[in-house]
Amino acid sequence: MMVSTDPMHQFKIDRWFDFRIGDLDLSFTNSAFWMVVGVLVLIGFLAVATSKMKTVPTRMQSLAEIWYQFIAGIVKDVNHAPGKPFIPLVFTLFSFIFIANIVGMMPYWFTTTSHIAVTGFMAIFTIGLVVLVGIIKKGFGFLKIFVPSGVPFVLLLIVTPIEIISFLSRPISLGMRLFANMLGGHVALKVFAGFIPSLAVALGGVGMLMGGLLVMPLIVGVTALEFLVAFLQAYVFAMLTCVYLNDALGEAH
Amino acid sequence: MSKDDLNDRIAKAQAKIDAKERPAYMSTGKGMGLGFRMASDFAAAVVVGVFLGLGIDAVFKVSPWATIICLLLGFVAGVRNVVATAMKANRVQPGDANKGEGA
Repeated sequence: MMVSTDPMHQFKIDRWFDFRIGDLDLSFTNSAFWMVVGVLVLIGFLAVATSKMKTVPTRMQSLAEIWYQFIAGIVKDVNHAPGKPFIPLVFTLFSFIFIANIVGMMPYWFTTTSHIAVTGFMAIFTIGLVVLVGIIKKGFGFLKIFVPSGVPFVLLLIVTPIEIISFLSRPISLGMRLFANMLGGHVALKVFAGFIPSLAVALGGVGMLMGGLLVMPLIVGVTALEFLVAFLQAYVFAMLTCVYLNDALGEAH
Repeated sequence: MSKDDLNDRIAKAQAKIDAKERPAYMSTGKGMGLGFRMASDFAAAVVVGVFLGLGIDAVFKVSPWATIICLLLGFVAGVRNVVATAMKANRVQPGDANKGEGA
């Protein structure tokens, strides 16, 4: 009996409709499809939840309000008043990542955030925005974040390159963390799940018993952990967006 | 003035409720988030250092010196990232452990 337990197969990108402009490949892929599904779920949920607004909220409206206030709370905690215009942006980023992660948790559904092309783009966009906002708000004074105040000149020769590397590491860290966590989590799930058929094939009845008693609880636990990670990664991404925006908006620190 | 007063009272009452009722798992999640953050911040700085060094080596043909120096700087930057995050997290008072740590 052949058992297919290739853990990387689930991340394969399939072109569903070929579409090219010159050398540019704009094909509609399964990744794009599940992104659209995620966005539609999100828009649909929020539209239904906020369609009949009441002073005393219904359950759906209450959920939407908690969702929004959670993000607004993060932005207010980190950026205070100047962060207010960025609440919609952070809300969008958080919601998209969260929904994409949760969609990815469904069996057979594709995890768009397990591809660095998606997460990396969001990270580069975020850091690009930080640099843009910083230059608009502070002009060349923005470059002061590379030169900490109160440091002797000799030390600045060492500290400035360190600060520059530290700044450049942000988009990498931001995109890599989300991508690696989603990829790693799904691979781990698949590998653990693959133990059961492997055991059953290798040891027969004893293997099935071992798979059911030992491996299955593990998979349930890892699945629960993955749901937590799905939320946490979206939360961390949103919070770091705020923290980095603080460099551009806030006072020197 | 009266509006500010009301806002003040609302904020105070909300803080009281938060301190009492916000479940403990919120701060667990915060801790895990912080952990994820530190781990990848450290790794990313080293990676950036190496690639920066390789790039400088390729442009100025000083291989391998820029790679070595930038790798070391990358390690330093990684440690600096982790220490800065930890210090910011510690600066938050125990009373508002549920507030954001990045302020």
